Amino acid sequence: MLRYLLRRLALSLPALLGLVLLTFVLSRVVPGDPAAVLAGDAATPAQIAEIRGQYGLDRPLAEQALIHLKQVVQGDFGRSIFSGRPVAEEILQRLPATLELTFAALLLATLIGIPLGLIAAMNHNGLIDHLVRLMSVGGLAIASFWLAIMLQLVFSMELDILPLRGRLDVALGSPPRLTGFLLPDTLLAGRLDMFLSACRHLVLPAVTLALPGIATIARFTRSGVLETLQKDFVLYARAAGYGRVRLAAIYVLRNAVTVTVTQIGLLFGALISGAVAVEAVFDWPGLGTYAVQAILAADYKALLAVTLVVGVVYAVVNVLVDLAQALIDPRIAGAGR
Amino acid sequence: MALASRPAAPFTPPNFLPGTPIMRQLLRSALLALAPSLALFGAAGAQQRPLVWGDTLPATLDPHAIFDVPSQFVLLNAYDGLYRYQSNPPKLVPWLAESHTASPDGLTWEFTLREGAKFHDGSAITAEDVVWSFRRLLAMNRAPAAAFTPVLKAEGITATGPRTVRFTLSKPYAPFLSAIPLVAVVNPRLVTPNIKEGDWGNAWLAANDAGSGAYRIDPATYQARVSLDMDRFPGHFLGWGHVPKPIEQVRARPVMETSTRVLALLRGEIDATDSYLPTDQVERVEKNPKTRVAKDESMRVFIIRMNNKKPPFDSKDARLCFAHAFNYQGFNEVILKGLVVRNGGPNPNNLWGNPADLKPYAYDLKLAKEHCDKARAAGAPLGREVEIHVQTELDQTVQAAQMYQADLKKVGVNLKIVPNTWAGITGATGQAQTTPDMWVHWVSTYFVDPENWIGQMYDSQFHGTWKASAWYGNPRVDELLRAARASLDQAERQKLYAEATAIVVADSPDIWVYNTLNLRGLARRVQGYQFSPVGSGGEIRLMWLEN
Repeated sequence: MLRYLLRRLALSLPALLGLVLLTFVLSRVVPGDPAAVLAGDAATPAQIAEIRGQYGLDRPLAEQALIHLKQVVQGDFGRSIFSGRPVAEEILQRLPATLELTFAALLLATLIGIPLGLIAAMNHNGLIDHLVRLMSVGGLAIASFWLAIMLQLVFSMELDILPLRGRLDVALGSPPRLTGFLLPDTLLAGRLDMFLSACRHLVLPAVTLALPGIATIARFTRSGVLETLQKDFVLYARAAGYGRVRLAAIYVLRNAVTVTVTQIGLLFGALISGAVAVEAVFDWPGLGTYAVQAILAADYKALLAVTLVVGVVYAVVNVLVDLAQALIDPRIAGAGR
Repeated sequence: MALASRPAAPFTPPNFLPGTPIMRQLLRSALLALAPSLALFGAAGAQQRPLVWGDTLPATLDPHAIFDVPSQFVLLNAYDGLYRYQSNPPKLVPWLAESHTASPDGLTWEFTLREGAKFHDGSAITAEDVVWSFRRLLAMNRAPAAAFTPVLKAEGITATGPRTVRFTLSKPYAPFLSAIPLVAVVNPRLVTPNIKEGDWGNAWLAANDAGSGAYRIDPATYQARVSLDMDRFPGHFLGWGHVPKPIEQVRARPVMETSTRVLALLRGEIDATDSYLPTDQVERVEKNPKTRVAKDESMRVFIIRMNNKKPPFDSKDARLCFAHAFNYQGFNEVILKGLVVRNGGPNPNNLWGNPADLKPYAYDLKLAKEHCDKARAAGAPLGREVEIHVQTELDQTVQAAQMYQADLKKVGVNLKIVPNTWAGITGATGQAQTTPDMWVHWVSTYFVDPENWIGQMYDSQFHGTWKASAWYGNPRVDELLRAARASLDQAERQKLYAEATAIVVADSPDIWVYNTLNLRGLARRVQGYQFSPVGSGGEIRLMWLEN
């Protein structure tokens, strides 16, 4: 298993290297001069040129790319051109918010999506199956920003039971920043009121983000279970007299769920990128809103770092998915030997 | 069990839920059935909330590193300068300085500091601190320095006594005093230990406090562009006797999306929106019993630029055609619901320096066509597609371009709308050939002097900056603007700017549309709000909260 893990990790490195170089080139060929933004109003071309020199923006693109690569390998993302602060610090402030939201959405999607898919498949072509399929199509078709606004209007404005925006009630202050994740930080601070406030603030963004995930997971679980139900071992299990629930939960689901696990990994990446719209509507101070601000300000250092961090998170999750698959089905780990 | 943490004041549910009243009630009942489980999560207690400011935050807290509209919030609340603009129309009032003198030739300016002003760490503000702050500004050479670098060098700033600072300019520059409020005095005793790699402490000050302003920044909870907590500084040099009950805590929480910003105000989650509330939301905010809209004429001119160096805009007739083809009244009165003021020249109407008989261009498609035909006859390539760059995140720029596109079609001009960003456009204005044919933006108040508008927009010495991106060049205008810049005689300056403005308007290098009426949504509990075009009313010191 360790060799399998190392192999998977090694395979991620070239992908990340490619990502660093590709995003660097893309970020530098798009229009926008960060030096001009930084110089501000009435700055002369000479002042703009001086700033360009200070940040090395006047060097050949290949040289800039090499310098960037060297800095990234050393864990140095440089300073944000706009704020003047180390980009790594800014990302560390923002990443936990995005991860907290994404994990909550993923958890919700998994806990609802898998049982829904299983139940739909076990009632193939029945009413429940049709309802789940309908919901899946709806879940994938609804635009997240529209859903977000609708949820705000109903649960915050009309019913007044959930907060509209942000991560925490401002009147409560903030917990000492230990992990950056609010749920553990509020608990570690012994502030139950803050913890409950953080939970309430998490509900609407997580539900918005989770809906397409629920649809995807339910669909893949359903088709996986349907396929598994045709296998001989299921027929033998039925012949042996196993009950419907035991058959589904223990024998069918475990064999059917490997495809779903892969989808969960892919979904994680989709949720992080999908979080941009959700973060904007709910004022969730994560990487998505940071990336939008970086694009608008032509802050290419920040943008490169965000892309790389999301890429690394995605790669790590993919490795974890591979491991999970190998644990569920040990034949997968052995196949590459 | 109470369902939520909101105060018990009457809340009129907006009519958001669809369907007939019966359906609506059924839906409401069904949703309310879910409510107890959500309410179990509980909510905040009933103590008085701090002031929650929902306007945009700047990218950095370093007041010498950036100068844009959001940065003025930090400048006005956490820092002090020698002079400050107050009220509307803005008046320049002594602040950390109690007075100043200027030599007759306009080269030497001396400021005397008031006694007793202290930084947040308790140390006294001295003339040396002012010198260090201005030298830091010049050395960093970022946005707020641009107003000074052409006339001021580090060695020209000296402390001539413990309370007197002298500035010796390399050439006379009348707007010098107008630009003085741009510069915050920072505490060198806090910044210098944090200088790294010759950055003048920029990385540190980007997220820390070294000011003397009425509010102290809490660096521990600061998150760039996300949250800024400030607490009242009881030792502020002006004292607190001017308000019945000062605001103790300020929580700046920028709201990114317009719809969320309005809803957050209506719901009481924030106390103030930004000052650009969309005109279609004004009625909604005013109807809510707990909110209001502060409407104040600002000094922020909406402009459609033309690149005068690129054909067809090198033809005056072509420019006049475009000037007459914009439906000013339709845009201002219908799209913006009359919540702006027609502005026919580069300077805001409510600023000095405009000619008394300034006549704005009128929407007249017949006249526009005549000018276009003349321009075509003279060889102007009006048959080519003309690009107008808009800032996609700012709806008004897109709306103006769409309306313009339809009208220009009627005079045979094909206008192509190009989505772009502020950074994208300003990055391209360094050279005439890369500057867009046309683009849409505002010029806000950075300092209250015609130099901020006509001076920096139409003097050819500023070519290459975004403000001068019309690439207009007229030697007579250059001469008038330079003379106005060098004179300390206000009456003479008024005359020079009026003459320059008349010439510029006649040459029609750009299309000036309106002067902004700033619209800020406010909770009714916020009292004492005072608008000034510099800072857009973000000076919290003047406000208090009603229970």
